[in-house]
Formats: sequence, structure tokens, C-alpha cells
Amino acid sequence: MPDPETYKPSADSAPRFEPDEGWVPADERLFGVDRRTIAPTLAVFALAIVMSVVLPLINAKVPYDDIVKPGDVLELDGDVTFVPEVGWGITSGVRAGHAPSSGEYPATATVENGDAKFTVHTAPFDGDANQLLDQIERTSDALNRGRGAHVTGAHTAIVTDQGTQGATARVTGPHAGGVIAAFVFNGRGVEAVGTGPSDAGPEPAAAFLRMIRSISYPGEGKR
Amino acid sequence: MTTTPADLDRARYIAIDLSGWGRRFAFYQPRNFAFWGYLALVGTGIFVFASRLTREYNAYGQAIGLAVTSFAVYAALFWWFTEHIDRYAKLPAKLMVVAFVWGGFAAAWSMAANANEAILALYAKAFGQVWALNWGAGLAAPFTEETAKGSGLLLLIALALRQVRTAFDGFILGAFIGLGFQIVEDIAYAMTSAASQFGANQIGASIGTIALRMASGVAAHIVYSAIFCAGLIYLLGRPAEPRRAGRGLLLMGTAMLLHGLWDSLGSIAGASVLTLVGLAVAVMVVTLGIAERVYELTVTRERDFMRDVMRPEEARNVITAAELEAMAGDRKARKAYRKARRNRRERRRACYVLNAAYDLANELAAARGADTDRVRFARAEVGRIRAGLPSTW
Repeated sequence: MPDPETYKPSADSAPRFEPDEGWVPADERLFGVDRRTIAPTLAVFALAIVMSVVLPLINAKVPYDDIVKPGDVLELDGDVTFVPEVGWGITSGVRAGHAPSSGEYPATATVENGDAKFTVHTAPFDGDANQLLDQIERTSDALNRGRGAHVTGAHTAIVTDQGTQGATARVTGPHAGGVIAAFVFNGRGVEAVGTGPSDAGPEPAAAFLRMIRSISYPGEGKR
Repeated sequence: MTTTPADLDRARYIAIDLSGWGRRFAFYQPRNFAFWGYLALVGTGIFVFASRLTREYNAYGQAIGLAVTSFAVYAALFWWFTEHIDRYAKLPAKLMVVAFVWGGFAAAWSMAANANEAILALYAKAFGQVWALNWGAGLAAPFTEETAKGSGLLLLIALALRQVRTAFDGFILGAFIGLGFQIVEDIAYAMTSAASQFGANQIGASIGTIALRMASGVAAHIVYSAIFCAGLIYLLGRPAEPRRAGRGLLLMGTAMLLHGLWDSLGSIAGASVLTLVGLAVAVMVVTLGIAERVYELTVTRERDFMRDVMRPEEARNVITAAELEAMAGDRKARKAYRKARRNRRERRRACYVLNAAYDLANELAAARGADTDRVRFARAEVGRIRAGLPSTW
């Protein structure tokens, strides 16, 4: 069976001594290292650097230009919609009426303006808005263990333009602050979080509140 | 021309030497640059994954426990199957562990995860969010994940120059790299699902993902990587596998295409669930069919090695010609060999004789063809079982 193309048999083709696994031929050593193993390792390192350093750097350098225009509405899974602030950039999520081919809208949408960031997430939830906010707080505390941004203060009521009552609280962190709101529409929970630098002033907070109030769910206003 | 016993012995030595079968593999090789490269990238991957796991365990402990337990059992089944099909010139088990760990940590967390995130964001910036949701995964993961997993084989070859010799070795090691990647990725998916409902109903939210990943995993990363890595060996060439660049590139491209098709199924099928299920089943059947063809293509050389190693035993009447054909044959050949026995008792004994003969082949390979005590003992065992004598051990 031996392949004449590739095999060079030893003189007698009999069992022969084999050096142990760590042995490197003297003419293959470079500073004690097996030189045959350098090129493949460097190739793998180059690939790893492209994947984990170069591509993320390119992504960070390419500006985002999907800017919210007047009349834009973002839609999420479960027919939940909200009106993003004009001039903010859409970093995830899609506009109403532009569903992906699968017909399913994503569960999360995010818009950003400088360091200010507003995210809406939706999923099934069995309970009311206060229970949802408690659940979010518990999960957030378990994840952060006292570090990073977390929900603080008592819950207060908030009402959407559609007339649905939700619960809201403040979000505070070492260098950021903001607001979190929770709504439950007919078994569908909605979490909206707006965060920005602590010293950003009242403008982002007002924008967060406008976007929170714009959250709507079909048929909810008629209830 | 008559073949003498000396010719048969010479062919055996050459087969053992060429295949690398039976050679020990030492992971700790400080003079091997690939050893340090492997440690650095696997170490980084373990750190990234363990950081996420420990951070999220507090919040999603139930779902993580369920996912780790379920996928550990799932991995054990695939591990057994993949080791089972490596029945001819077997690779060292330690090398399979090294491959699994590369797939699970270095390929997934040091390389592909970062690249996927960046490429998906770039697609969204260049072509819009909807386009990225439709085609982003299918046009990112096949390139990033297959190359990240496949690059592990380059390091494994450098770590085991004397053991990784054939395209079939690439097929088996690729399967183990893919298994590691898939299991760790599945656990990460289950964690994401646990978080999807605000941390409530964790088991309910993640169990669907676990079941879906288990069902689809039959024809996913394990198979893609096996095909890709077999292709990579053909592309590079090895001492026991002449270089066939065209075939290598075709196999690597096929693995990427299958991966891309799978990741784009939701967009190709549209909103119809029935179409989606039909397409998913069709792609899985095609993927498994291609994997079987690649297995048959690559395993031939290993079967020839088995035949060369055991033919002197046939010449010395240790095994019969029928046993040699069954040992070096496929499942059908082994079945035909068993069926040829008269009754159930004889069929069972025939199985035992075959297993003892495989043990003898492994001992011969480990002894590099020499007649050692272990080889003589394994040979005696074949005779004992054939004679129906009880074991004294």
C-alpha cells in the first residue's frame, strides 16, 4: 500500500529506533525551538489577530449612518413599537413594515446619540409592570453583584401616550445614569432602558421619557 | 511473483511507519512553538468563557446547570460515536481531547466570537439592519468559524507531526474540534435564552433552545469541521496523503457552503414554518450524505494500513482471510463475516475474535511491528477466544 509518491523507506524497512516525542533534530532547531512549528503557529496567530483585533477595530472606525428620520417607527417581536428620537442612530432593530424575510422582528432595538443609549427589549412575561420591574432588578443585581449600573429608588408610575400604565425607576452607575421602565401588554413584557453620562444634563432624560411614552402595542389604547 | 513472509513484514513496517499509528502523543512539548501558541489561544478562550459563566451563574444558574448537564451527555454520545468510527489506524485519545478543547475555547471565544460580532455590525452599517438580519449570519459564520476551527488542525499537525498523517486523521480531529465548538456554543446559546425573558422562566426559555440545538447539532459543526479538516489535509498534503489541492479546496468550500446554507435557512424559507422545517431536514440529509461520502473517500487509506499490518498474521494463520477482510472492511463486510457463522453462539464468538484481532493490530502498531511480550499476549488471546477457552485474567 505505501505510496511511492510520498514514502521514502529506511534502508531495511524494519522496526527501527524512534526518538521520544519531544526530540527535535539538530538541524531543525532555532534557539532550541523546532523551526518546523514556527510558521504554522505564526499563521494561526495572524488569523487570531485579524479576527479579534483587526476586525473589531475596523468596525469601531466605520461610522454608523442609519439615522432616525421624522415618521420612523421601530418594531419589535410581538408587535411592540416605539418612536425613536429624530437624529439618533439605529444600532440594532428594524423599522415597522421592514421585517426580515423570516417575518419575525427582533426582540431588541437600540438607538444611540453620542454616549446616550436607549434600548427596548420585549419577551413573554407573566405578571404586571411592577413585578416585571422587580424581576429586572433581581436579575440585574445578580449579574452585577453591586458593581456597575443598577436599578435604584422606588418604583413610580408612568403612562404611555396610548394610555398603558407602567412602572419606572432610576438607573445609576459609577459614571452613568438614566431611567428604566417596564410595561406588560397582554402577557408581553417590555423593558426600556435609557442611559447616558451622569453629567449629560436634562436633554437625554427628556428624550428617554418621550421614547418610553411612545411605546405601544396593538389594541392596547382601545382597552 | 510470490510474496514472501519477509515482503509482508516489510509492508507492515512501512504501513506502521507511514501511518503514525500507535505512536505516543505527548502534549507537553516546550520546544514546540505550536504548544505555546495553543496554550495562549486556548487560555484566552477559557478565560473569556469562564468569566461569562461565573458572571451569569448567579442570575441564570438553573438554566446553566440544565444546559451543562444536557450537553455533557450529548457530547459523550458524539464522543463515543466519533471514536467508534476511528477503528483502523487509531489516533491517540489525548490528541482528541486537545482537539475538543481547541474547538470549545480557542476557536469559539478567542477567535470566531469577536470576528462574528464585528462582521455582523459591519454588514448592518454597509447594507442595513434588515439585510444583516437576513444574510449576516450566513455570510459571516462560515468564514470565521470554519477557519477558526480549521486553524486548530494546523497547530495539531505541528504538535503531532508523527501522528497526523492522513485525510482521515483530519476528518476525525475536525469532528472533535467541531464537537468542542458546538458544545460550548450550545451552552452559550442556552445562557442567552435564559436571559431572554428578563431572567424569569429560565428553564422554559432555554429548554426549547437546548432541544433545537441538540436536534440540529447532528449535522452541524461536527460534520462541517470534519469535512473542512479532511480538505485541509488534502490541501497541505501529509507523508501518507499526497497533496490534492483541488480536492482539498472543494471539501473546505463545501463545508463553508453547508454552514452558510444552514445559517440562512430562516431567510430562504421566508415566513412559512413548513418550508423552514422541510428545508432544514433537506439540508441535514444532504450534509450527512456528503459527510458519509467524505468518510468513505478518506477511510480507504486507513483500511489499507490495517490490511498491511495484519496480513502477516493471516500468513501465519493467527487470523483467517475472512477475518482480515472483515477487519479492514466496512460495516457491511463485518456484518457479512458475522452472518456467515452457523448460530448465535458462533456469531458472538466471531465478534470477540474480531475485537481481539483489533487489539492485536493496536499492539503491533504500538510496538512498531516488533514481536514484544504484549504482541505475543494479544496474539495468544486471539487463539484463546477462537478455541472458546475461558480467560485466566
